[in-house]
Amino acid sequence: MDLIGATAAWLSDPAHWQGANGIPSRLFEHVALSGGSLALATLVALPLGLWIGHTGRISWLVVTSANAWRALPSFAVIGLLVPFTTVLDANLGFTLYPTLVAMVVLAGPPILVNAYQGVADVDTDLVEAARAMGMKERQILLGVEMPIALPVLATGIRSAAVQVIATATLGSAFGFGGLGRFIVLGDANKDNGELFGGVVLVAALALTTLGLFLLLERRLVSAGLARRTAG
Amino acid sequence: MMADEAGRAGHGSGSRTGAVSLEFRGVTKRYGHSAQARGAVNDLSLEVPAGAICVLVGPSGCGKTTSLKMVNRLIEPTAGQILLDGVNVLTEDVTELRRRIGYVIQHVGLFPHLTVGRNVAVVPALVGWSKERQLARADELLSLVGLDPAGYRSRYPFQLSGGERQRVGVARALAADPPLMLMDEPFAAVDPIVRERLQDEFLRLQRDLAKTILFVTHDIDEAIKMGDLIAVMEEGGRLAQFGPPDEILAHPASDFVARFVGADRGLKRLSLVTIADLELAPIAASAPPGLPTFSPSTKLRDALSVLLAADSRGGVALDEEGQPCGFVTVDAIASALAEDRQPAATRSGGVTRQGATGVGAAAGDDS
Repeated sequence: MDLIGATAAWLSDPAHWQGANGIPSRLFEHVALSGGSLALATLVALPLGLWIGHTGRISWLVVTSANAWRALPSFAVIGLLVPFTTVLDANLGFTLYPTLVAMVVLAGPPILVNAYQGVADVDTDLVEAARAMGMKERQILLGVEMPIALPVLATGIRSAAVQVIATATLGSAFGFGGLGRFIVLGDANKDNGELFGGVVLVAALALTTLGLFLLLERRLVSAGLARRTAG
Repeated sequence: MMADEAGRAGHGSGSRTGAVSLEFRGVTKRYGHSAQARGAVNDLSLEVPAGAICVLVGPSGCGKTTSLKMVNRLIEPTAGQILLDGVNVLTEDVTELRRRIGYVIQHVGLFPHLTVGRNVAVVPALVGWSKERQLARADELLSLVGLDPAGYRSRYPFQLSGGERQRVGVARALAADPPLMLMDEPFAAVDPIVRERLQDEFLRLQRDLAKTILFVTHDIDEAIKMGDLIAVMEEGGRLAQFGPPDEILAHPASDFVARFVGADRGLKRLSLVTIADLELAPIAASAPPGLPTFSPSTKLRDALSVLLAADSRGGVALDEEGQPCGFVTVDAIASALAEDRQPAATRSGGVTRQGATGVGAAAGDDS
């Protein structure tokens, strides 16, 4: 059977759309893991990046190490983490944790670097004007620097999100569920329909996520920055 | 007139919305160990009465912007005191202090992500005015600076011309009705024609507002036009001379000041005096028809220029109703320079300034 036909057949088989190993539950696992790790990474990296961008403190250190960090291959990070995370929890250690930790570790740097860069690039005259009008430092950061840095900042979160969805796929090789499971099983069973069905699903999820983030950005970024006429 | 404005503002200063007096007392700012560093200020002392415009002028690096920024404590002085109505700014809460001081800079610093209306309402929002009051105030100020609120309040800064941005910048600085305004080269980023119009409009506004204004420029002509008082600063952050424009032009205190104000300082002085200030000769019955005519608000510099261009030794001064009321001669204009004029006598307020544009146009028609 040709590849496209096999993939279409596998995807359209109703049996693959139900049960604990069905596409919806794998999709849910994938989205939950990706969303969870993205949220965790954002929670840590965003405030840190904003603060470094605002104060300029230790920026060289953080940006250099974040960029070096980015060079690490995701697969290696997950593999390296397995022995450590099994200590945390013997059951989940082999499944959820290595992938989750690796994803947080991988999603952090782009968020951090972009948050830093976005804030650091805000015109210093503008920041001084805000200060001269009697804004407190926190008000300057949240009311001026962050909204102006939003396009750059959102790019960081968006690329982290896409990266996290890709990385969650790799997690399946280490025992975690998610859409990658179909790829692993398809490969093991020599079932090309399942293998490429998994690939298509992951790609579709990544593109959908990208689209949703772009829509959200369009809503959140001020028309004054996007240079769109109001309305 | 300055004295009147200062007096009027004096009554209101208790309410905080009038004007405050500003005093630099032995203010020094050093960068590193060098007293000569760019932007350093050396033992600056001067007093600006409430309601007056004081212009700090000098070559770049002379410390004028540093001096301005020490008032709202964007820069902290190394030594000395800056007093607003006798209160040292260093003893005040810095945020409270800044919210009471309007600030306008060359590149305006409008927030690109906020609409014009919200830009103007930044300080009112910070000090907790209600939404309705903020909106009403923004509209009021946009009208004040000549921008129709309905057409402008929802626009973003990128949709404005340079001159419009500068107006919004002034409106924003005025929003919380601050008794003191700091203006750092506020009109430098626009073309000369727009600059002249903004200057004229600002002076007209200031006649009603009577704020105390500290104004920084490197342009001596702007200093002469805008200032009730001019502080000329030289390299090393020293005050070279402080006084009303006519005094600086008539009696430069040093070679530096003389060079800085320029060889045409005599002509510049003439731009401080109007036909209305001149003692007019009676119109001779034998006067030929077709002589140049001047409104009372015409600056002597422009009148002289018109007379020279028309190759005429004299012209006819008109009164407010446009009726001939006297004869103006080149000699009479020249003799105006011989007098030492008090600032109150020479600065006949906005009438002078309003007239400037009209005469410019008239002179253009002649040539």
